[in-house]
Amino acid sequence: MRIPLIGKVAIIWVSLYLALKFLVSPSLPSSVIFMYMSLITVCILLFVSVFPEDAEAFFGPIKRFIAGDQTDSAVRKLGRVAMFAIIPLFFGHRSYQANMPSYEPPLEQRIVHPAPPTEFTGMYNPYREDHEHFAENVKRGGEVFYRNCVFCHGDKLDGTGIFAEGFNLRPANFQENGVINMLQESYLFWRISKGGIGLPEESTPWNSAMPRWEAILPEEDRWKAILFLYDYTGYKPRTWE
Amino acid sequence: MNKIVMRKVVILLFLMLLSSNSFAQEKSGFGNVEAGKKIYTKRCIFCHGEQGGGDGPAAERFNPRPRDFTMGLFKYRTTPNGMIPTDDDLFKVVTKGLPGTGMPSWESILSSQERRDVIAYVKTFTKKFERQKEALPVIEVGKEIASSDESIEKGRALFKSLECFKCHGNEGRGNGPSALTLTDDKGDPIRPRNLTLNWHFRGGGEAKDIYMRVNTGLNGTPMPSFKDSLDNEKSWHLANFVRSLSPSSRPEINGVIKSKKVLGNIPADPSDPFWQDAGAGGGAEYWFPMVGQVIREPRHFTPTVRDIFVKSVYSDKEIAFLLRWNDPSESKDGEPLPVVGGEGDEDLFEGATSAGGEEKPVATALDDAVAIQFPSHALEGLRKPYFLMGDEKNGVNLWTWKAGRLQESNANGIDKEVVQGSANQALSGGGGYHEGQYKVVIKRSLMTADQEKDMQFEAGKFVPIAFYAWDGHNAESNTKRSISHWYFLLLEPPIPRDVYVKPPLVAFGVFGCLLLLQRKLRKNHGKL
Repeated sequence: MRIPLIGKVAIIWVSLYLALKFLVSPSLPSSVIFMYMSLITVCILLFVSVFPEDAEAFFGPIKRFIAGDQTDSAVRKLGRVAMFAIIPLFFGHRSYQANMPSYEPPLEQRIVHPAPPTEFTGMYNPYREDHEHFAENVKRGGEVFYRNCVFCHGDKLDGTGIFAEGFNLRPANFQENGVINMLQESYLFWRISKGGIGLPEESTPWNSAMPRWEAILPEEDRWKAILFLYDYTGYKPRTWE
Repeated sequence: MNKIVMRKVVILLFLMLLSSNSFAQEKSGFGNVEAGKKIYTKRCIFCHGEQGGGDGPAAERFNPRPRDFTMGLFKYRTTPNGMIPTDDDLFKVVTKGLPGTGMPSWESILSSQERRDVIAYVKTFTKKFERQKEALPVIEVGKEIASSDESIEKGRALFKSLECFKCHGNEGRGNGPSALTLTDDKGDPIRPRNLTLNWHFRGGGEAKDIYMRVNTGLNGTPMPSFKDSLDNEKSWHLANFVRSLSPSSRPEINGVIKSKKVLGNIPADPSDPFWQDAGAGGGAEYWFPMVGQVIREPRHFTPTVRDIFVKSVYSDKEIAFLLRWNDPSESKDGEPLPVVGGEGDEDLFEGATSAGGEEKPVATALDDAVAIQFPSHALEGLRKPYFLMGDEKNGVNLWTWKAGRLQESNANGIDKEVVQGSANQALSGGGGYHEGQYKVVIKRSLMTADQEKDMQFEAGKFVPIAFYAWDGHNAESNTKRSISHWYFLLLEPPIPRDVYVKPPLVAFGVFGCLLLLQRKLRKNHGKL
């Protein structure tokens, strides 16, 4: 069966649109797709206008459809009414979108794991190698965690404590792969000791609810809590080697 | 192969399976006690204690306290009041957790066998499970009666006749006359549930969960079972009524409060019809979770206010906020607190025990309060003041309502709050307490003379906003408070007239073009 020219054009136009929309990766913004499709439409119109036979084959059915005829079927008549309704509504809607002001809150970008200050690099957990008292120290760390950290970081250490929802920067999930196993213990010690307020500007310190634990917990409790975090989750700290 | 041999093998295998199964059951009942002990020691002792006494190192910082397993009293069951729970009941609690408490859902960490093992171990803390020889009776949720106005009305009548309001309050906000005096079987104060916020219900907030709760009661608490007064139909009516007190779905955080422009004066009285009128102050209400201030000492782990609802509108002159939050008691500085365990209705609550005869000094309440926080002035770029009361460099502007008094202040840290001079005090407002709920309006002019200390409001600009609340009955004042994070306030500019004019013009124009085209085509009909 021969496909009429207008059908071919429609198939080419639609397939090019679908290809741009779904096949290109990463996906194109709609404004770029609109630009390409305008170009394609102009090209097609040029192509079909070059020879009068093509022009008739392409524009003829369109003209006849718009003009209408007494002999038209009910479907054609309905289609024409729909076209007269949909095209003005489409442009009206575009105009509404263009004129309706929209307000987006400012996006806050932040560096999640900024470089620690020099005094917190190269440190080791003083209790890591104390094999004799290891279980005891982990248990003490657990006590510290469940009396202080649990409200945000949660009973399962997954960042879903009873107060977690109240904060915009959600508490860290220590169970997640790529968090504490990618960090040195000294990094955790820095974050715990200085808290959110001790973050550099690029990490939006004003948003972090992490307390400055050096004001609340003695140093040995902070190290033991870190010992507990790794023991409970089964992760190994990143080392300096 | 020989069919008979085949059959023998199958029977043998079947018998082996049976015997191994029953052997395993005999050994462990439900799970393996030894394996359960290991899990318990790693994951449960910090709250529930090594001996299951609910006295782990974290226990005192939680409300409700972790369960004391040695008492053998469990709240969330399908068994009649006073009875131990079924294994399935315990399995459900361990699997799904108890929302709003420290008990998390363990299914992400523990396999179902591990959960069974830990339950087997927990059951060894009391003799009650061992003594229970015969099968436990289980309360079934009967054929559902769908919620309807009629069912809800019948439920409302039951809520009254069964005297639920005595604890839960006339409007269900956990503020009944005996609400503040109740204790559990350990003598710890216990508050009746606020029935209008069903996402905090520990055992589930849907009608079927409520059905179960009113039939089973909560062991060890003043919540009795109403099984003898309820049949299936009545249970559903009551459950449908209680369910209807909460929103149809849990509110979600929407980070931008849109303040709508209104004409004329904004009433300071929250009960004014203005605040219900869709064309005026009846627009969207925003919900935000409130949490304990656990960042600066002295910290607060058990805050009363966990939810705040906010509406905002503005006019040519002023901006107004309608704040709504729940508090089971209206408290003012210096008022004596009710004696906990002293005035409970002993007849109704057989399970409830008073705190004993010992004399307690009369404690006094503090003021209930709420506050709205903005930066002191607009900041460059994205920089905000520290969300908890600002920092040294960037201060915050606070609008505080404290037991009816309004006050403007500034802070550069939680311990560095300075009340503004009387010339600068520009807030007005109104409202107060009704049936377990505060509704307060706070207003100020959009612009003020002091641009350094007062946030100035302009349409179309995003302004950081945060909230605080204090419950005077819960010894909350100063740092002991409920806090929220920064969100945004946007004074929505009025919609430009173009939005209503241009689109119809465009649509009409296109329609006209199409008509013209059609006319032209028809004229040239012969050529088509």
